[in-house]
Amino acid sequence: MDLDYSTAELAFRAEVRDWLGGHAPPPLPPMDTADGFAAHRAWEAELAGARLSVVSWPEEYGGRGASLIDWLIFEEEYWAAGCPARVTQNGIFLLGPSLLRHGTPEQREHWLPRMARGDDVWAQAWSEPEAGSDLAALTSRAEPCEGGWRLYGHKTWSSRAAFATHGFGLFRTSGARHRGLTYFMFPMTDVAVRPIAQLDGLPGFAELRFDGVFTPESMVLGEVGQGWRIAMATTSSERGLTLRSPGRFLATADRLVELAGDADPVLADRAARCRVEAEAYQLHTFGTARRIMAGEEIGSAASLGKIFWSELDLRMHALALELLGDRAEDWLDGFLFSLAGPIYAGTNEIQRSIVAERVLGLPR
Amino acid sequence: MNFGFSEDQLALAATVRDVLRTHCPPGSLRTERRPAWEQLAALGFFGLLLPEETDGLGLGLVDVLPALEETGRACLPGPVVETAVVAPGLLAEVPKLAAGAVCVGVLPPGQAYAADADLADLLVVVRDGRARVVPRQDVRLAPRRGVDPCRPLFEVAFSRSEPLAGPVAPVLARATVATAAQLVGVARELLAVTVGYARVRTQFGAPIGSFQAVKHQLADVAVAVEFAAPLVYRAALTVDAGSAERDASAAKAAAGEAATLAARVALQVHGAIGYTEELDLRFWLARAWSLSAAYGTTAAHRERLRTAITGRRP
Ligand SMILES: Cc1cc2nc3c(=O)[nH]c(=O)nc-3n(C[C@H](O)[C@H](O)[C@H](O)COP(=O)(O)OP(=O)(O)OC[C@H]3O[C@@H](n4cnc5c(N)ncnc54)[C@H](O)[C@@H]3O)c2cc1C
Repeated sequence: MDLDYSTAELAFRAEVRDWLGGHAPPPLPPMDTADGFAAHRAWEAELAGARLSVVSWPEEYGGRGASLIDWLIFEEEYWAAGCPARVTQNGIFLLGPSLLRHGTPEQREHWLPRMARGDDVWAQAWSEPEAGSDLAALTSRAEPCEGGWRLYGHKTWSSRAAFATHGFGLFRTSGARHRGLTYFMFPMTDVAVRPIAQLDGLPGFAELRFDGVFTPESMVLGEVGQGWRIAMATTSSERGLTLRSPGRFLATADRLVELAGDADPVLADRAARCRVEAEAYQLHTFGTARRIMAGEEIGSAASLGKIFWSELDLRMHALALELLGDRAEDWLDGFLFSLAGPIYAGTNEIQRSIVAERVLGLPR
Repeated sequence: MNFGFSEDQLALAATVRDVLRTHCPPGSLRTERRPAWEQLAALGFFGLLLPEETDGLGLGLVDVLPALEETGRACLPGPVVETAVVAPGLLAEVPKLAAGAVCVGVLPPGQAYAADADLADLLVVVRDGRARVVPRQDVRLAPRRGVDPCRPLFEVAFSRSEPLAGPVAPVLARATVATAAQLVGVARELLAVTVGYARVRTQFGAPIGSFQAVKHQLADVAVAVEFAAPLVYRAALTVDAGSAERDASAAKAAAGEAATLAARVALQVHGAIGYTEELDLRFWLARAWSLSAAYGTTAAHRERLRTAITGRRP
């Protein structure tokens, strides 16, 4: 057991820090506006130009074939430099890994480099008005047609779908609850999109209506009827380290500690505790990365991390607001977003049940 | 970067675990004052951290951390941390230490009472940053009521003592981390036993573990243990590098909180039977409480962390 970085890892950290030092953008307008979305896409293209947008992907798709440890190093530097949240995150962190694992060579060659550059920005279309936590109850369906499929139904709460170019989601291709689901990708062109404002008033969500939207055969990911299995692999990475790397929480904790510098001891104590918890998450992630690199599957244990990081994030932002009183503006957007952490990627109630049943072995 | 235990480190823990299963079963906690010590000594357990010149194995704290966790998991009585971790740092010259023939007690700074002092051949007393050692015949002990029946407390008076050379702070930091490792073991056992009970105890025609209110409490314990353990592992690494007071405090506070949460939930889920002397659970509950207060309370370590991280003093 050690915590020592190799020479190559240290060199990579230095390179990333150097590059970000010269290129990190000033705060961009919110990505849930047309201008902000464009600005975020331009930033993604700039990152990709330095081959820093998807460092852990193979080189042929725009990455560097870097190890998970390198990726964690990249993330620490990225957030410490104050860089913006990633407008491409659903693509590069959720769809991307599924394509790498289950996609055909043609799918990978076509979509991954475009995703890495921000040419396409993907929205995740899983939730439906009647299927949130109970995702397998979804009713949107796909019917085979000449050259592909026609999609019908109603999806909702889709992040960034107001401006996204493409979507991916599960659609029913037969009656079987889990095995009747197929994983589809589709262009947004013919989807009826209704933006939905979030708590901050910006259209961060959208509702999608499919009235026979055509998507070609080549847009099925994996086999027909295998959508649930593929999607569950994605949710495991969504809950686990790919969506929420520790660097993000370490950077927030550092800002919080600075804020708490002159606070009363009770509040300062809570800030110090947050910093230590961010470190606990970082160390835990190093352990997880090691296990994944050794070929282990993390599976349901990712739910432990989801509960921990989402509640830590919320605690940090709530404390910041408490410290700031009526001068909350710098932390307000973060606070509003942190409130969503215990809801998205599977609510924390669902995560606790997963931990109890699948990690601890309690009866259903 | 390789943040995981090696096969050797895990194998040592497995060996200790087997020995404790056989020689320190829950029943022995009621009848024996020092179960499994001879067997651990025969295994070389008390010489693991001693240098080779004094018949030890010269291992680092991180090498023995999983094994220490096992001693917590088994609720092993006796001054384990004192004899296996503190003594190698302060009393390495004492003959037969590696053979486990000498039992050591410690009165740490800021603490009123010495745990397990009745068993100690040598008592280390730390006051004002200095350590002194007192042989058994020069110590007078007065028993004091403590929470843990297998970790009795004593007020200590002594006539003669010898000063010990060398800085004591690094040794105390090691003892703190070792205690945190034991707390992780205690918490893991409390969780496992409680999950086992929740699977078999039925009410309303269903196992109580199928009720969400029970499940979610146990999930919270699992989260607390899962994220306390890596802080303990880190502290074991940095304590040997000599920069660890902050990390040791982080480890001790998190492990203490995880263990006390595990105890709280274990008791609640067991219901009234958990509130009895008859159920072995009481030993683990007590150990969670008593070790949480050992080598600095959770509050004391939290205060140290606050000072170290925010620069704020009280
Ligand atoms: C910021 C944000 C971004 C999102 N982005 C996307 C996206 O890009 N794509 C997408 O498809 N979806 C997205 N979602 C939707 C998200 O996945 C769902 O909100 C989530 O799965 C919960 O579903 P629901 O909102 O329908 O709540 P419900 O399932 O109706 O749950 C409501 C409450 O009941 C509780 N509950 C439900 N069932 C149980 C149970 N069995 N046991 C205990 N408690 C239960 C829940 O925990 C919750 O507290 C996003 C949500 C948010 C907040």
